[in-house]
Amino acid sequence: MTRTPSRLQVNGRAVELPGLPDEERLLDTLRWRLGMKGTKEGCRSGACGACTVLVDGESTLSCLTLTREVEGRAVTTIEIGPEDPVVARVRSAFAVAGALQCGYCTPGFVMSLAGLLRERGAAASREELLEALGGNLCRCTGYASILRAVDRLRSEGP
Amino acid sequence: MAPFELVVPSTVEEAMAALRTSGPGGASALAGGTDLLNDLDDGRARPQRVVSLRRLPWRTLDWTGGQLTVGSTLPLRALEQDPEVARRFPGLVQAVRAVGSVALRHCATLGGNVVRSAPASDLVPVLLSLDAEVDLVGPRGDRRVPLDRFIRSSRRVDLAEGELVRSIRFPEARPSSYLWQRVRPANDISQVAVALAFSPTGHAWRVAVGGVPPRPVLLPGPARLLGSGAPGPEVVRRAAALAGEEAPFVTDRRASEEYRRRTVSALVARAVAAVLETPEFPR
Repeated sequence: MTRTPSRLQVNGRAVELPGLPDEERLLDTLRWRLGMKGTKEGCRSGACGACTVLVDGESTLSCLTLTREVEGRAVTTIEIGPEDPVVARVRSAFAVAGALQCGYCTPGFVMSLAGLLRERGAAASREELLEALGGNLCRCTGYASILRAVDRLRSEGP
Repeated sequence: MAPFELVVPSTVEEAMAALRTSGPGGASALAGGTDLLNDLDDGRARPQRVVSLRRLPWRTLDWTGGQLTVGSTLPLRALEQDPEVARRFPGLVQAVRAVGSVALRHCATLGGNVVRSAPASDLVPVLLSLDAEVDLVGPRGDRRVPLDRFIRSSRRVDLAEGELVRSIRFPEARPSSYLWQRVRPANDISQVAVALAFSPTGHAWRVAVGGVPPRPVLLPGPARLLGSGAPGPEVVRRAAALAGEEAPFVTDRRASEEYRRRTVSALVARAVAAVLETPEFPR
């Protein structure tokens, strides 16, 4: 039970977090300690999906995750570059399909889809992709174009 | 969020010792955190210490013959993706997939759901229909409690200080079905939920309902009516009607009592049909 210094890997980069309070959430660490504002704060209670990131490749709600609970693990956010081809591909599908209105929910949608594609690969069905988006809300109700982005991902193949 | 000390023990003994703190607010055990973090945030829980269970060797799924034991900290997503669980416990997987969202289920656990015992839990009805048992470890030794007794009321369970849920045990595979009614498919609370299972060894049905205060319950009347095998349409109709009469529904802000009574009858009839259609139903 010794206190280890808090280290995460964020988008492939090792990050040290001296003085990290035990009660800090991953969402706040990303936005306010690391200045990475791509991950959005919506409901702050796990109901909207805006804060979705990947932890070791799995979609995770950063508002319901204590940063210390993911020490030593790999966190991927919407800011990751082309070195993550899955996130890059989903981002590009959203851009081409014009799948956003105000854009606030977009990072969460992209990371939820990227997580499902990491999990299921080319085998991912349309139903599975839509289930993976079940926890993401778009308050602009721009779902039609988001579904077009999903279909673009499917038709492009892996 | 009020400050607390997070400890991350590597052994069960360390975890039990860490839970015994005399400080104000005591200690809370943290599994997936999808429920506890909201309580920590709004001050409903103000522990001095939070004990993370993530390093304990409980992310397990074990088969002994037809019996299934699910480690308390196994993420729900791992449970729903296991093909054997889906084949032998279809109702369990349907209920797991009703919880929150995919991202939430990467963290949420069966142990957490049971211990937090939310009145509208989507998992408790199906666990009741499968006669699930709770395996506990604690300073006074291990014990096993039927889930129906473990859950006392809304957010109240039979858990002594320093005790932890190690696993949930399912004594036999059962053809089963879980059906719910709610406004949105994901991240919502079921207004009415029905779990049905048929015990192939006991030749008996189990009918459980959710959406009733203060916790989901078994309905023995409709289960008896369904008999000891495949019921005919008239029997199903009567059992469904009886479920609508017997379930202790009330009106609250989510739905009226009348809506719930009518809905539960429809869901019971559909769930019987779903159980009869499973390939594992004995004929």
